[in-house]
Amino acid sequence: MADQTVPLGNSLGAAYPSSGTFLEWLHSWVVTVDHKKLGILYIAYGLFFLLVAGAEAMVIRYQLAFPNNHFVSPEAYNQIFTMHGTTMVFLAGMPIIFGLANYMVPLMIGARDMAFPRLNAFSFWLTAFGGLLLYFSFIGGFGLYGMGNAPDAGWFAYAPLTGSAFSPGHSMDYWALALIVAGFGTLGTAINIVATTLSMRCRGMTLTRMPLFVWLMLIVSAMTLLTITPLTAAQVMLLLDRYLGAHFFDAQAGGAPMLWIHFFWIFGHPEVYVLVLPAFAIANEVIPVFSRKAIFGYPAMVAASAGIGFVSFTVWAHHMFTVGMSWVGNTFFVLSTMVVGIFTGIKIFNWIATMWGGSIVFATPMLFCIAFVFQMLLAGLTGIMLSVAPWDWQLHNSYFLIAHFHYVLVGVIVIAIFAAFYYWYPKATGRMLSERLGKWHFWLFVIGFHVTFDTMHFVGILGMPRSIYTYQADRGWNTLNLVISLGAFLQGIAVAIFVWNLIYSYFRGQEAGSDPWDAWTLEWATPSPPPAYNFATEPEVRSRRPLWDLKHPSDPDWKYEA
Amino acid sequence: MADENIHAQPQHADGKHIQLPAPTAWPIVLAFGCTMAAAGPLTSTGIGILGGVMMLAGCIGWFREVLPHEHHEQVEILDRPVVVASRRALVERIQLDPRHRAHVPVETYPVLSGIKGGIAGGVAMIIPALIYGEIAEHSIWYPVNLLGGAGVINWQHAPNAVIAAFHWDTFLIAIAIHIITCLLVGLLYGAMLPMLPRHPVLLGGILAPLLWTGLLHSFMGVINPALADRIAWGWFLVSQVTFGVTAGIVVARQERIPTGQSLPFAARLGIEAPGLLLSRPDAGSPVDKNKDREDRH
Repeated sequence: MADQTVPLGNSLGAAYPSSGTFLEWLHSWVVTVDHKKLGILYIAYGLFFLLVAGAEAMVIRYQLAFPNNHFVSPEAYNQIFTMHGTTMVFLAGMPIIFGLANYMVPLMIGARDMAFPRLNAFSFWLTAFGGLLLYFSFIGGFGLYGMGNAPDAGWFAYAPLTGSAFSPGHSMDYWALALIVAGFGTLGTAINIVATTLSMRCRGMTLTRMPLFVWLMLIVSAMTLLTITPLTAAQVMLLLDRYLGAHFFDAQAGGAPMLWIHFFWIFGHPEVYVLVLPAFAIANEVIPVFSRKAIFGYPAMVAASAGIGFVSFTVWAHHMFTVGMSWVGNTFFVLSTMVVGIFTGIKIFNWIATMWGGSIVFATPMLFCIAFVFQMLLAGLTGIMLSVAPWDWQLHNSYFLIAHFHYVLVGVIVIAIFAAFYYWYPKATGRMLSERLGKWHFWLFVIGFHVTFDTMHFVGILGMPRSIYTYQADRGWNTLNLVISLGAFLQGIAVAIFVWNLIYSYFRGQEAGSDPWDAWTLEWATPSPPPAYNFATEPEVRSRRPLWDLKHPSDPDWKYEA
Repeated sequence: MADENIHAQPQHADGKHIQLPAPTAWPIVLAFGCTMAAAGPLTSTGIGILGGVMMLAGCIGWFREVLPHEHHEQVEILDRPVVVASRRALVERIQLDPRHRAHVPVETYPVLSGIKGGIAGGVAMIIPALIYGEIAEHSIWYPVNLLGGAGVINWQHAPNAVIAAFHWDTFLIAIAIHIITCLLVGLLYGAMLPMLPRHPVLLGGILAPLLWTGLLHSFMGVINPALADRIAWGWFLVSQVTFGVTAGIVVARQERIPTGQSLPFAARLGIEAPGLLLSRPDAGSPVDKNKDREDRH
């Protein structure tokens, strides 16, 4: 079968015209409503906070590396682990994911921009300023004229610890208000993605031909609309408690701290899937391209994603087994949690089936995706373990749970995000990331990850509680904690290599061309980086792999797709 | 092909420019105003008021941006065509054996064979267990009580003499545990033995008990340290191997039956629909679908 070289007429121009002075360049970014620039802003912002939260993790691990350590004070330690969790979820994970969606969704569906470009800019800046407001608490927690104090009640901010009696000053006010501001930004972006996906697809792109990345971002955005709202409502109630003397969460005045826990986890558990489904979305794009095969079981993948989205709203109280629920409640949430395993199992089988028999190219994005599939299985298994109520009773407040959580958030989500960086960086910058540095990054990170989080399961089983400041030398946790910390520093080195790769390759990287991976979705039919208008003429697609159809006109996919 | 896939009409009247939403600073002004307003209660009233003013200004500016007509900018279309071509010219279809979908196991043992194997293995493994009890503690009830009392808290620190005596309750519990476990493992053997490539009895009878015993040895200290101290792991392994070999031999001697895995789905459902089993002439065999593979030159 011969190659087909297909010029796309005027549709594809060069990248942005050269900019003028630095101020003009800066101004163009501040006033932009271009989805690609906003996507890059989101990602750069998220990456910055990923580094900040990573630095906080390093402090935590140094503090716990040795028994009776006093590297930081107990007060500072509480602030650091609270900010680490809050930052990773709200200021690093969400912005990077929505940044990817911002950049890729219009390109993948053949649109010029998002449905509401100005709302898109407004959403990003809200998110950005919300994050800055949260970090301003380090210096402004008691007001501009006082000493600062950052939130220190854990990222879940359980009542009554967040009440004014136990958290005086403004620390929790900063937490609530900053996240409300950032949350409205997230809602705006979610509305934008839903509207864009449903109303701006190019000709021929039916729902059954949409790239799986777009499908999953649609599901994630719909979930976001449902998950952020209960959190925002609870935060408003918390502020009413703290400012106006309401008693929603004050047990002594007839309120219910349990109400906060319900509200938080009705947000919190779907939020995990809001973060992890985009990781699945990334794998859905990368694995087929580097396996040189179409994705296996496209309809099943869509159905499983929608199933995960639905079921994720029925499992929140598995975070609450230890608060003491009725056996009916325990049984329901055990079973509903286990159902998630069916959908994720379908996905894992389909990724493996996609790779099966393919001509696999072990480039860095694919390496990260293979690690992702492996990690997904492990994280799922530890999740199934914790879904069993008696097991959870024993280990919920131990480092076993922290290990499981990081198996998901780092082992699945962060690793998939790394894959996305290596896969789409050439599209956004026109330069390839260094494969050599990428492989150093991959191996150091994966090894460091397992050294840290595999070991963390054991220290949890041995009874080390979560969130403790330090521990006595006779508890039998010394060596394990040192190993965990060494693994964390190895991950830190890997991330430093990654950041250096981003910077180095931007200036010295190999020219990428429009389609360096020989891929099949529409974003690769534009120059790298794409022009402001994406496509000069509206593309028309006839299958799920429009570029395959162009490259192989005698053997197009549309013949096979019902 | 390009004509089929790319809509050729230019998107703007002159064909050289494209209309895009104009850049604007009002979204960032409004966002900053919202944040300042939120920071008001945390810092000072002045900050909150300033935030409110910025919000108002942001809203007015934004409305003027889109009302009565949305502001646009003209972006020049740059004529630099992109070539969509694959470096991999050859599309190689995976050659499938007609029996490709004949999954392992094509044949399996009936459920009854697993039950028979479980019963036989369960009876056989009693012998080394009782011999161990008699030799080590001079009581055949010692291993019985260890099994029956494994999960009973009162037995955690019981002296050997108590464990060596006969007890009705632990005896009945041990019998129940033994029967249920043997039947389930027997069923597992029945399902798994056809899948083991060679020497199924050897693998299922010796290797699997060896792995299982090793796993249990590593776990038991965490799950039940008191029980772990009392288990004689050598004897334990002997009884497991006795079970495995016996159950394996009994299962392997049973007659195999086809699993039906190689039949089409519709046929397995019992649907008489020959049309469903035929492939579309233009789409190739349904078995080939989604199995395309490309190779480099």
